[in-house]
Amino acid sequence: MGSFIGLLLCNDEGEVLEKALFPKNYEIQASKLYLLSKGESIDEVKELCEKARKLGIDELVVEDPKVAQVFVSAGFQNVKIETPNKVAKAIRSQLLKLVVKIGYATSEDEAVEILHKVAFNLSAKRIVEAVEKRDLLVAQAVSCIDEIEKILNILASRLREWYGVHFPELGNVIKDHEDFVRALILIGHRDNIKKKEVLEELGPLRDKISKILETGPSLGANVLQKDVDVIRDVASIVLKLYEVNERLRRYVDEVMGEVAPNLKELIGPVLGARLIALAGGLERLAKLPASTIQLLGAEKALFRALRTGSKPPKHGVIFQYPEIHRSPKWQRGKIARALAGKIAIAARVDFFTGEYIADELKEDLKNRIKEIKETYKSPPKKVVEKKVKKKVKKEGGSK
Amino acid sequence: MHEDISGVYVVEMDDGSIRLATRNLAPGIKVYGETLLQHGGVELRLWDAYRSKLAAAFMKGLKTSPLRDGIKVLYLGVASGTTCSHVSDIVGNDGRVYGVEFSPRVMREFLERVAKYRRNVIPILADARLPTEYAHLVEEVDVIYQDVAQPYQSKILVDNADFYLKKGGWAFLAIKARSIDVTKEPSEVYKREVETLKDGGFEIVHVVHLEPYDVDHAMILARRT
Repeated sequence: MGSFIGLLLCNDEGEVLEKALFPKNYEIQASKLYLLSKGESIDEVKELCEKARKLGIDELVVEDPKVAQVFVSAGFQNVKIETPNKVAKAIRSQLLKLVVKIGYATSEDEAVEILHKVAFNLSAKRIVEAVEKRDLLVAQAVSCIDEIEKILNILASRLREWYGVHFPELGNVIKDHEDFVRALILIGHRDNIKKKEVLEELGPLRDKISKILETGPSLGANVLQKDVDVIRDVASIVLKLYEVNERLRRYVDEVMGEVAPNLKELIGPVLGARLIALAGGLERLAKLPASTIQLLGAEKALFRALRTGSKPPKHGVIFQYPEIHRSPKWQRGKIARALAGKIAIAARVDFFTGEYIADELKEDLKNRIKEIKETYKSPPKKVVEKKVKKKVKKEGGSK
Repeated sequence: MHEDISGVYVVEMDDGSIRLATRNLAPGIKVYGETLLQHGGVELRLWDAYRSKLAAAFMKGLKTSPLRDGIKVLYLGVASGTTCSHVSDIVGNDGRVYGVEFSPRVMREFLERVAKYRRNVIPILADARLPTEYAHLVEEVDVIYQDVAQPYQSKILVDNADFYLKKGGWAFLAIKARSIDVTKEPSEVYKREVETLKDGGFEIVHVVHLEPYDVDHAMILARRT
């Protein structure tokens, strides 16, 4: 088993048979444990493997799957994972005594001192790793997602036009861009849709394509194989981009969970990351007033409003929050204001304390939105009101 | 000194109000801006029941506590260490508190404010849902104290108990009903968590509701049989 002093090899009775101990240096101990926890190999693993082999041991049992991995990659094939393991539990019950018994520390007091320092160093290492500007990485990633999506739309439209010369029916039956590109790559020349194996590979899209067969001959032009080939080349890159985009989204989701869990839970990983990108980092977002957050991404409209005195915008990118763009126009500004307030709280908690309060925020927001929807069910009758006022004035004036 | 709870002092303030306090293990150092008192050569730290659920539980009449001098505690969800510092005071230099926290940002504060000055605190940055992640640092413990805002809180407790809790060991579980399921009534949530604990081999000793210190929170004291 792994411990803060090194690796211990024990038999079923809990006796220590062999050990591969770390040098007595907090920095080194911590960095070795750090590597081990990431599933990377350290010298002590090889050392223990050799010692185990000399003893004629051919099976190891460990608790941590990552440690098991390390042993396997160090050439010890037969490693079992057992969580929790009885022997390891027994050792844990007298771990510090054992450290003294082995001679790694002269007293239990010293053993505690070592443990404290190692744990401190290890935690500090992980903090540095986690906090190092991950929010800026996520901001870059989300901007990249936006750009890829723009490119995808352009290229997919091009492919539809281009391939449509040859086989317009495909574009007509498959509306989803990604499905269309996938089908294009599989089919290639339109004559191929009559082939059984091609149809089979199309999977769920098969039904739609069989319909094309029923409607009779294609209205597209006859082209050569090489004409189709270039289209397919482009299509395969587009498909690859779809995959990259998907991976980026998963990445943003994951990193947002580490960097800003409350923000992520409140408005979703991508929108949350977008706000971080617009603000220029989580710290800056956390320090913005809610009213600014409400308009992030609508700067152009805001300054136009300030300059010309036209109506100011009600929302920036938070418009993408479903409850806003799905609501009728006259409610959006109110919901945007409520949401921006919650986002400000979430960002501040994420940056300053890191507690998890998203559930309360969501609950509050839900209630507020409900309240807005009930209070402002029908559109305000501004125009009518003005007319009425004017009338009153006129009447008052005439009397 | 509290008559029933070891290591916890009851202080009557000048205005007649009753407050809790613990003996400061790191004299002169405040963790979260609490008041320090001198009492017969001993420095006490006032323990704010509005900021610590354990203090709230004691204020609300929790009479038994397995925490005492020399005890080993696995503390899941230390956050920035408010409660943990008082637990560290109670168990003293012969005891130990293994403080597990998942969020790096909070952990940083925990290191700076608590772990740095207290040798009996072992800080661990890891996910409490995966006990194997810190098996190389933690020894067998007498008590698990858990305060994590997660659904499946009690399952996390049972998993950790399987790894680290001594036979007959104790567990404190702070339940935040709204973190488990916002749509359900808190009482329903408590009931479900208690069931999971029982299935995991725990005997429920005490359930304390923490109002008015914390709304929709409860503290469960349980013992592994």
